[in-house]
Amino acid sequence: MDFEIQIVNFFKLVMLAIVPYILASQGTMLGGRTGLFNVAQEGIMLLGASVGFLGTYLYGSIWFGILMAVIVGGLFGLALAYFTTTLKMNQFVIGLALFFIGLGLSTLFPKFIIGVTLQPPLITTLKDVPIPGLSQIPFIGIILFKQNWFVYFSILLSIFLYYFLYKTSYGLELRAVGENPKAADSLGVNVSMMRYSTAIIGGMLMGLAGAYLPMAYTGTFTEGMVQGRGWIAIALTFFGGWTPHLILFGALFFAGVEVLGLKFQIGGFGIPYQFLLMLPYIATILVMMFAFKLVRTPAFLGQNYDREKRSLS
Amino acid sequence: MHEHTMDTGFSSRTVLSKFLPDLLAVIASFVAAGIFIAAMGFNVLDAYETILFTSFRSANGFIQTLLKFVPLVLLALAFTVPLAAGKFNIGGEGQMIVGAIGAAAVGIMFAHLPMILLLPMVILAGILFGALWGAIPAWLLYQFGINEILTTVLMNFVSFGLIDYVATEIWKDPFAGHPTTVPIGDGGKLPLLVSSPPLHSGIVIAILIAAAIYFFTNRTSAGYELVVTGANPRASRVYGINVRRMFLLSLILGGALAGLAGAIEVSGVHRRLIEGLQSNFLILGIIIGLISRGNNLAVPFVAFFIAVLEVGASAMQRTMMIPGEMVFIVEALVLLFVLLSDVVRRQ
Repeated sequence: MDFEIQIVNFFKLVMLAIVPYILASQGTMLGGRTGLFNVAQEGIMLLGASVGFLGTYLYGSIWFGILMAVIVGGLFGLALAYFTTTLKMNQFVIGLALFFIGLGLSTLFPKFIIGVTLQPPLITTLKDVPIPGLSQIPFIGIILFKQNWFVYFSILLSIFLYYFLYKTSYGLELRAVGENPKAADSLGVNVSMMRYSTAIIGGMLMGLAGAYLPMAYTGTFTEGMVQGRGWIAIALTFFGGWTPHLILFGALFFAGVEVLGLKFQIGGFGIPYQFLLMLPYIATILVMMFAFKLVRTPAFLGQNYDREKRSLS
Repeated sequence: MHEHTMDTGFSSRTVLSKFLPDLLAVIASFVAAGIFIAAMGFNVLDAYETILFTSFRSANGFIQTLLKFVPLVLLALAFTVPLAAGKFNIGGEGQMIVGAIGAAAVGIMFAHLPMILLLPMVILAGILFGALWGAIPAWLLYQFGINEILTTVLMNFVSFGLIDYVATEIWKDPFAGHPTTVPIGDGGKLPLLVSSPPLHSGIVIAILIAAAIYFFTNRTSAGYELVVTGANPRASRVYGINVRRMFLLSLILGGALAGLAGAIEVSGVHRRLIEGLQSNFLILGIIIGLISRGNNLAVPFVAFFIAVLEVGASAMQRTMMIPGEMVFIVEALVLLFVLLSDVVRRQ
């Protein structure tokens, strides 16, 4: 019985941990499917965590924090699209620059607005929202239907994105832009518009992914609290073959490793905790050794499209 | 992006036309950040005076700047060398940490050896360990085609656990409050050039290495192959260059440079391994490399400029209570505006 409780508890924590991975990865996937490779996740998430916490703390409403994080994330997405799609600057260089700015602002804002305090300022963390009826199912109910609403949102978002990309004509056009922008352009698809919209929505999702961390876990913002989840989200996107449904399942693996590491730390088992801290990153590298052989990436990923040029690339 | 200007025509007109956009970019970023500082209710002129002149007001300020310059220039080169081949090394932090671990391990285990043996061993261990840490993502790219941005970053996080283990379990200094190892042997310490305030001779190594890297990338045929690979991989392949091997070598060389920076911090500054010695040198190194547009001749000069800003930033934080991160924003803005000036020039 005790063992069963442990198992249920483990999977409940895994479901709690999938949220930032799913949101950031789906945001990355959306942009990538139009050929725009965002590498600023870590910075946008840190800034999302920072302003999401500050907004909630100052105005007493989690919705205000979320709004702030989404707006800031969207602005970073807009900046990425402008510099790369309009100004044709290198996507990785701009992505890194935005990562740095996000990182810097994330610690600057709390210092300016709250200052240094002895006790960390706290916000109330998210509550579980049990779904009537479904949450009564043994085991599954607690794991899947007794979570905070971010968990439901990220799962529903993944399902929606799958439907959108593969079952609507707009989704087909979007995918075409990342595979062959020239052909898409000649069929009347607005390549720039596609890249702008996915970059902005993608940035919003990354901001939201960051805001989740203080809201679900710590109740406060701490420096570097994203701890590489933004980078792991890129790995997850490759792992999921840039498809929303596989990203959803892949997130279970990455979240599982994260929770496992924490469990081992508490459980002891004689392994030095430093090695358990390395676990998610090593697991990510190992998984990618297979992912990069098996899955395909959008053909035009990371490249800017110039309609004045005759040849591709 | 990957422009490697080979000409070194230094007539006054070309120098001016070459650097005017960069100068404007620097001014623009100071103005932009100044508006922000003023909006927060601080005195902008005082702040900028502190940022720009702290390095030159006292011997201590200048030496602090040189001490920052050493890891900055090496971390910048750890980024620009792979960049020449078109690869992004975001793992300088981990490579520096692991290099520092290697240097400290040798310095502690062979503490009794005389300087003539121990000092080269400590420095070489740093280079080798850094190269090894860079070789892992390089091999993953070579063998499996895994995106190097991702693997180099992830290796940073792995190194955080490693340094903590070494500093709290293996050679822990029981009297230090912060995770720190016992000191390395006296023979492993870099001699001082100036004793008070202390300036170690790592600065000489850094300048020599920077000159050597410039010579390598711009004046040797092997370096030329590297640059050509980055400029046009497809043409290079046709020409007979093993492009994948170039990627591999450039990332390993980048790791070696960052590892050297780690060894110098251990051997010259801390005289032991301290958690956090990597500071934010990785990100500043990348900023320096990108502001230089990968031009290795520009790297030392930009690195010095950033070192001045960094020393000014800590002074500003101390005397005016303006968070030092403000300067980081200035640096990131300089990068953005410098890149934008390229777009303007292109049109």
